[in-house]
Amino acid sequence: MEKSNKYWQSLEEWRNDPKFKELVNSEFMTSPLAGDGEVTEEEGPARRHFLKLMGASMALTTFGCVRRPAQKIVPYANRPHEIVPGVANYYASSFVDGVEGFGTVVTTREGRPIKLEGNKSHPANFGGMSARAHSHVLSLYDPDRANGPKNNLLNEQRTNKDTVNTTWKSADAAISKQLAKGGVAVLTGSVSSPTTKALLNTFKTAFSADHYAWDSIGLGHVSQAQKLCYGQSVVPAYRLDKAKYIVSVDADLLGSYLNPTRQSKGFAQGRKKLNDDMNKLVVFETLMTLTGTNADERFVIHPGEQASLVLALTHEVVSELGFSGGFEGVTSFTASHHEKMKPRFAKALNAIAKELISYRGDALVAAGSPQSQDENAIPLQIAVNLLNTILGNDGKTVDHSNSYSFITGSDAQMYNLIEKMKSGSVKTLVIQGVNPAYAWGDSFAEAAKNVEMVVYVGDRNDETGSISHYLLTESHALESWGDAEVIKGVYSIQQPTIRPLYDTRSFNETLLAWLNKGSEGDDKTAHDYVKSYWSSKIKGPSWNNVLQNGVFTEANLPSGGQRSFNRTALNYLKKLTPVSGLTLNMYSTVGLRDGSLANVSWLQEFPDPVTKICWDNYATVSPKYAAENSLKEGDVVKLTSGKNSLTVPVHIQPGQSDKAVGLALGYGRWAAGEVANKVGVRSIVFAKDFKNTMGHNRVLASLPVKLEKTGKSIPLANVQGHHSMEGRQIVVETTLKDFQKNPESGIHRHKIFSLWSKHKYTGHKWALSVDLNSCTGCGSCIIACQSENNIPTVGKKYVLNGREMHWMRVDRYYVGDPENPSAVHQPLMCFHCDNAPCETVCPVLATVHSDEGTNDMIYNRCVGTRYCANNCPYKVRRFNWFSYTSVKTPLHMAMNPEVTVRSRGVMEKCTFCNHRIKEVQNKQRVAKTKYKDGDILTACQQSCPTDALVFGDMNDPNSQVSKDFADKRTYILLEELNNTPSVRYKTKIRNVASLKKDKHHGGGH
Amino acid sequence: MLKRRPLVTGDKTYKDVTDDICELIERPPGIHFMGLFLGVKALFVFYLVVLAFIVSTGMGLMGVNHPVGWGTDIITFVFWIGIGHAGTLISAVLFLFRQKWRTSIARTAEAMTVFAVMTAGLFPILHTGRPWLAYWLLPYPNQRGPLWVNFRSPLIWDVFAVSTYATVSIVFWYVGLIPDFATVRDRAKNPIRKKIYGILSLGWRGTARDWNHYEMVYMLLAGLSTPLVLSVHSIVSFDFAVAQLPGWHTTIFPPYFVAGAIFSGFAMVITLMVLVRHFYPPFKNYVTLDHMEVMNKIIMVTGLLVGYAYGSEFFIAWYSGAPYEQYAFINRAFGPYAWSYWIMISCNVISPQVFWFKKFRRSIPVMFVASIFVNIGMWFERYVITITTHRDFLPANWGDFVMTFFDLGALFGSFGMFFLLFLLYLRLVPAVSIAEVKPVLFVGKDKGGHH
Repeated sequence: MEKSNKYWQSLEEWRNDPKFKELVNSEFMTSPLAGDGEVTEEEGPARRHFLKLMGASMALTTFGCVRRPAQKIVPYANRPHEIVPGVANYYASSFVDGVEGFGTVVTTREGRPIKLEGNKSHPANFGGMSARAHSHVLSLYDPDRANGPKNNLLNEQRTNKDTVNTTWKSADAAISKQLAKGGVAVLTGSVSSPTTKALLNTFKTAFSADHYAWDSIGLGHVSQAQKLCYGQSVVPAYRLDKAKYIVSVDADLLGSYLNPTRQSKGFAQGRKKLNDDMNKLVVFETLMTLTGTNADERFVIHPGEQASLVLALTHEVVSELGFSGGFEGVTSFTASHHEKMKPRFAKALNAIAKELISYRGDALVAAGSPQSQDENAIPLQIAVNLLNTILGNDGKTVDHSNSYSFITGSDAQMYNLIEKMKSGSVKTLVIQGVNPAYAWGDSFAEAAKNVEMVVYVGDRNDETGSISHYLLTESHALESWGDAEVIKGVYSIQQPTIRPLYDTRSFNETLLAWLNKGSEGDDKTAHDYVKSYWSSKIKGPSWNNVLQNGVFTEANLPSGGQRSFNRTALNYLKKLTPVSGLTLNMYSTVGLRDGSLANVSWLQEFPDPVTKICWDNYATVSPKYAAENSLKEGDVVKLTSGKNSLTVPVHIQPGQSDKAVGLALGYGRWAAGEVANKVGVRSIVFAKDFKNTMGHNRVLASLPVKLEKTGKSIPLANVQGHHSMEGRQIVVETTLKDFQKNPESGIHRHKIFSLWSKHKYTGHKWALSVDLNSCTGCGSCIIACQSENNIPTVGKKYVLNGREMHWMRVDRYYVGDPENPSAVHQPLMCFHCDNAPCETVCPVLATVHSDEGTNDMIYNRCVGTRYCANNCPYKVRRFNWFSYTSVKTPLHMAMNPEVTVRSRGVMEKCTFCNHRIKEVQNKQRVAKTKYKDGDILTACQQSCPTDALVFGDMNDPNSQVSKDFADKRTYILLEELNNTPSVRYKTKIRNVASLKKDKHHGGGH
Repeated sequence: MLKRRPLVTGDKTYKDVTDDICELIERPPGIHFMGLFLGVKALFVFYLVVLAFIVSTGMGLMGVNHPVGWGTDIITFVFWIGIGHAGTLISAVLFLFRQKWRTSIARTAEAMTVFAVMTAGLFPILHTGRPWLAYWLLPYPNQRGPLWVNFRSPLIWDVFAVSTYATVSIVFWYVGLIPDFATVRDRAKNPIRKKIYGILSLGWRGTARDWNHYEMVYMLLAGLSTPLVLSVHSIVSFDFAVAQLPGWHTTIFPPYFVAGAIFSGFAMVITLMVLVRHFYPPFKNYVTLDHMEVMNKIIMVTGLLVGYAYGSEFFIAWYSGAPYEQYAFINRAFGPYAWSYWIMISCNVISPQVFWFKKFRRSIPVMFVASIFVNIGMWFERYVITITTHRDFLPANWGDFVMTFFDLGALFGSFGMFFLLFLLYLRLVPAVSIAEVKPVLFVGKDKGGHH
C-alpha cells in the first residue's frame, strides 16, 4: 500500500488494487487499436493513435469537399545545397525488378523522386525502360506500405489475429534472441546486390544459417539445363543485338522473359537494318505473346510440343540437311519428334533449318517462358542448348560469360526449404524480396506453421507478412543505398533519392543490425558499408564518378566461347512426358509479371500489349475452341486442374493453340493493398510439384484442365474497341523484299490540294516520327507518359466505359486468319496537326496552335464541350469525367510539378512534353546556346527500348525527324483528311516472303 | 363554289369565345389538373435532383465516353429545339401566308416553342464539363486580355442561333398575348389579379391606334421569325456537319434537320392539342378536327421529306466513294445500334403513312399514337446521328454508348420541365388567342352567323 485513500468509491480503490489502478489510468476499458494488452509503454497509448487517425480522417473528409484545395507554400529559409526550387535534379541509380536490372536516372523535384528514366550508359537497358520500371516510382509512394516495423500476433492456427506496432529495438532484440537458438534459414530472391551477398555470407557464418534463393518467376530450369549440358549453372544472356536469325519457342523475349528491355533494344538494332542483314524472328508458341506479335513468321504449337519442335528442328538440321556438328547420334531419338511435327510444319522446318544453318553462329534459339515450364521444361532447355551448340551459337548469341550470374534462384531450393520447415529443423525463417505465401502456393504457408519465428523483410503486411511474426519494413530502392550486379561484371550503385518516408530499413541495414547484435548497426550505416565495400573494388574511377555514372564495368571480362556439350545430358531427351487434351498454361504478363508490383494502379490499368485488357486476368482460349464450345468473350468458366478450381472470365485470343488455356500469373492478390486486392484470380494454385532425376521444379504449363461454363458473364476491360483494320490504311506493312524494290511499298498516297495557304512556322516546328518497324508494342511509353504527365487511373468500371486517361496509347490490330494472325502495333499520341480539327471547333479557344507547331491545350480556359474530342479523327483527346485530382497520400508526391493537374470537366491530351521543350529552351536562353537535334526528348521517346520514337525540329533539315519525314517509308495516317499532322509513321517491314491478308471485312470484333 | 368549313364550331358568339377561353384561367383547378400538375411537378423535381448530381459530381455520371463525346444531352437538346419549330412555323409563317386556320392553335404552338427552347437551352450548358463557366461561350468584354470566343466554332453559332431564337419567340409570343391579357384584366374581379394582368397587358386599351401598332409589330415580328424557322436548325445541324467525321460531315444536314424539326414540332402540337381537347372539352370547338387534319397532312409531308433525306444520305454515302462514310452508314443500319436506326425509320417514315387515309387523319386515337411515335422517332433520329462517333476512322477507337440512370433521368426529367411549364401556361395564359379567333369566327358561315 503506497497511500491510504481518504475518499474512496469502491473497495478496490480503497485497497489500492493494482488492477484497478491500471483501469483508472487507461481511461477506456478497451483500446480500439491495441491487441490484447500487448501495447507497451514505449509504443505509446493507442488511443492517441486512434484520435490522430480520427482527426486525420475527419480533416480529410472535410478537405474532400473543397474544389480547389488551398495549400500554403513556404520558401526555404536556408536553401539545401543542390536544390533550386523549380529545377529538377537527376541522380543515377539502379534497381532490380525480379530478375531484370535497370540502370536509371531518377528525376527529383524539391527532394522527391518523381520519375525514372533509363540510364543510357548502362548496359542492362541502354536507356530503355519497361512499363514496370516506370511504375517503380509509384510503388515508393504506395499508400498501402507499412509505416514501421510491426509485430503480428499470430493465433494457434498461425493466422494473423492482430498487428501491433513495434520498434526496431524491441524487434531486433526478440529476433536476435531467436537467432541465437540456431536453425536459421534465409529465403530471398536471386540476390543481385554484391553487398547484400557479402552480408548474407557473414550472416550465414555468424548464425550458421542456410540461404535459399527462389524467384517467383524463376529460371531454375534454364540454369539447371545449362549445368547438365555445360556443367555451368548459369542463366545466359540472349544477345538479340548480335542475332540475325532468332527462333523463339515459347520464350517471350520481347515481353516478359528474362530481360525484355535489353532484349528489345538488341532486337531493334537488328530490325533497323533495312537490308539483307535485317534480323528475322521466327516464333513457335502456344499462347499469343508480345514476341509472337512481332514475329516475322509465327507458328502455333500445342502445349507440350515445345521440346518436340526443337528436336524436330534439330533433326532437320542434323539429318535432313546433314549439318551435324558432331552430333549425328542424336537422330536416334529426334527422328520420332521429326515424324510427329512434320505433318504440320514440314515446309517450315525445312526452311527454318536451312536458314539456321546459313546463319549459324549468328542465330539464336531460345525457350523458357512460364508457358513452356511443364514437365519437359528442362529437356526443352537441353534441346535448345543442343541446337545452339550444333549451330555454334553458344558463346556468341548465347552469352554465358557476360551472363546474368546473379540469378541463382530455383524452385529446387524452395522445395528443400519447405522440406526443412516441415521437419521442424527451421526455427527462424527470414524472408526478403519474395512473397512466397502468395507466389509459391499454399504449401509454403502450411509449412511456415512449423517455424518458431518467421521474420518478413518487406514493405507491407502482405500475404507473407501476415503469416510472419515480424514485419520489418523495408526501405524502397529509391530510399536506400545499395548496389547491383545485373550482368556479370557490370556493377551499378543504387543511390537513395529521398529519405525513407516511413520508419524503414533496407535489408542491408537489417542484416548489419543483426550482425551487431541489435545495436542498430550504428557503427556502420548502409551508405558507409556500400562505399567501403566498393572503394576496395573500384579501380580507376573515383567513387563520386561511379555514383554519377551509375555504372561501373569491370575491365577485361573474359570473352565467352563455345563450351563443350556434355552428351550425357542427351539422355534426358529420350523420354519426354506426353501431353494430351486441353491444358492450362500460365504465362506472365508484361505489366504484372509475378504480381510483385500489383498494387501500382498504373500497372493494373496498363493494357496488356497483346489482349489490350486491363484490371483482370482471364482464361485465354482460341477462337476455334470458343466456337466449338460456344464460349463468348467474358463468359465465366470454372477451370479445374488437379484438386483446385477457379472461376475466371474467358478471353478469346486469336493465334493460340486450340489445346491451350492461358492464365496470367500475378493476379488474385489478397493482401497487397487497395488497388490489387481481389483483382483477378491467383493462377499459381494450379502449379504442380514435379521431381525427377533432372531436378525438382514447379510445373506451370501443360496441366490437364477441365473447363466448364458457369452461365455467368462479366465484361473484360478492353481499351481497344475493334481489332481489325477493316481494310483501311492504318498500319502499313510490307515485306523486306518489296521494300528493297520500292521504299514506298504498301503506302497508298493521296493527292491533297487545299485552297488555303499553309501555316508558316518560322522558328522551330516540333514533330515526332514513329518507326512502326522498331516498335514492339511493349507499352513502356504509355507508363512513361503517365508518370511524366500526372495521368490518373480510373479503375475497371470506367475503363469499361471507355474513360481511360492514357495520353499515349498503342493500338494493336490483327491481320489474317484468326487462328494464326499476324499483329501490328501502332503507338498514338496527339498528332499536333497543322490544320487541327480540334482547334476550329472549340468555342472558347481552349485549344490553340502554337507558333512552334504544337497544338496546345489551355486547361483553365476549357469549358468541356468535348467537341474537340469528337472531331479528332485519331481520338487522342481525353476528358476528365470526374475529379481525378485527389489521390491518396502520399501518392501526390509522385506528381510532376511541371505538368498541370487537370481539374474535373476539362479536356486533356499529349502536349509533346511541352514542359520539356520549355525547360530546354529556357536553359539554352540563359546559357545562350543553340538548340541541337536531340536536346529534347519526350517522355515516351526517352523510355522506348527500341528507339522507335524520334522527336525533333521539322524546320531543321538535318534533324533526325526531318530525315525521317523525307524518307519514302514515311506515311501520314488519314492523310486524305488533310490535317497535316506532325506525327508520322514509318512502314512496318516484315522479313517474310509474303504478308498475311485480311480475309474478311467486318466481324472479328 | 366550295363552301369553307367553319374554323370554329358550336355557333359561338363573341362572348362565348371570351368565356370559353378565359374560363380555364379564371376557375380553380379541378382534380384532373391537380393530379397532372403534381405528377409533372414531381418529375420536374426529380429532374432537378438529377441535374444537381450531374453538376456536382461530373459528366462521368452519364453514358458519354471516349469515343462518344456527345450523348443524351446533345440528343435531347436537338430534340427539344426541333419541337419548337412548329410553333414558329404556325405563328409566323402561316401568319404571313394568311392561313386563317392557324389562329386557334397558334398561341399554344408558340407557347410550346418557348417552353421547348427553354428546356432545350439547359442541355448544352449541362453537357459541358464545367457548366458554371458556360458563359464563356458568350462574347462579352472581359478582363482576360484579348480573350474572345472562337467565331469559327459551330457551337458559337449555336449560342447565337438559339439565344436569338429564344428571344424572338418570347417577344413574339408576348406581343400576341397583350390584347388577351387586357381582356383577362378587364374581366378580373380580384384586384391583385387585375393588377398583374394589368401590368402584363402594358396598358392596352383596345383603341384603333393600339390595334394599328399591334398589327404592325406583330407582322414585323412574324417577318423576323420566319428566317429563324430555317436558320436555327440549320445552325444546330452545323454542330455535326462542320465536323469532319463520317456520318456527320454531310451537306444535306441543314434542310434535313429543318424538315425533321417541323415534322417533330407538328407531332408535338398534335400530342398537346389532343390532350388539351381531352381534358378541356370546350376547346374542341376551337381546335376542331379540321385543324388536326391539316396538321396531320403537314406531318405526312414532312415525314416524306425526312424519309427522302434518309435515303439520300445513303445514296450519297455510296456515291461519294468515301470508305469511312460508307462504313458509317452501313454501320448505322446494320451495326450494333441498328435497332435505333430501325426505330427511327419505322417511327418517322412508316408511321406517318397512315395519314394518307382521311379516316385516320381525322381519328383522334390514331393521330395521338402516330404523333407519339413521331416524337419517339425524332428523338432516335438525333440519337442515331449523335452516336455515329462510336465507330469512326480508326477501328481501335471504336466503342459503345450505354445510357445510364442519369441519362434517362435527364431525358425524362426534361419532359417534367416542359409539361410543368405547359400546365402553368394553360392556367395562367389564354390558351387560344381570343383576339385572333374572333375575326375568324364566321369563316365558313353565312353572314350573321347563321347557316
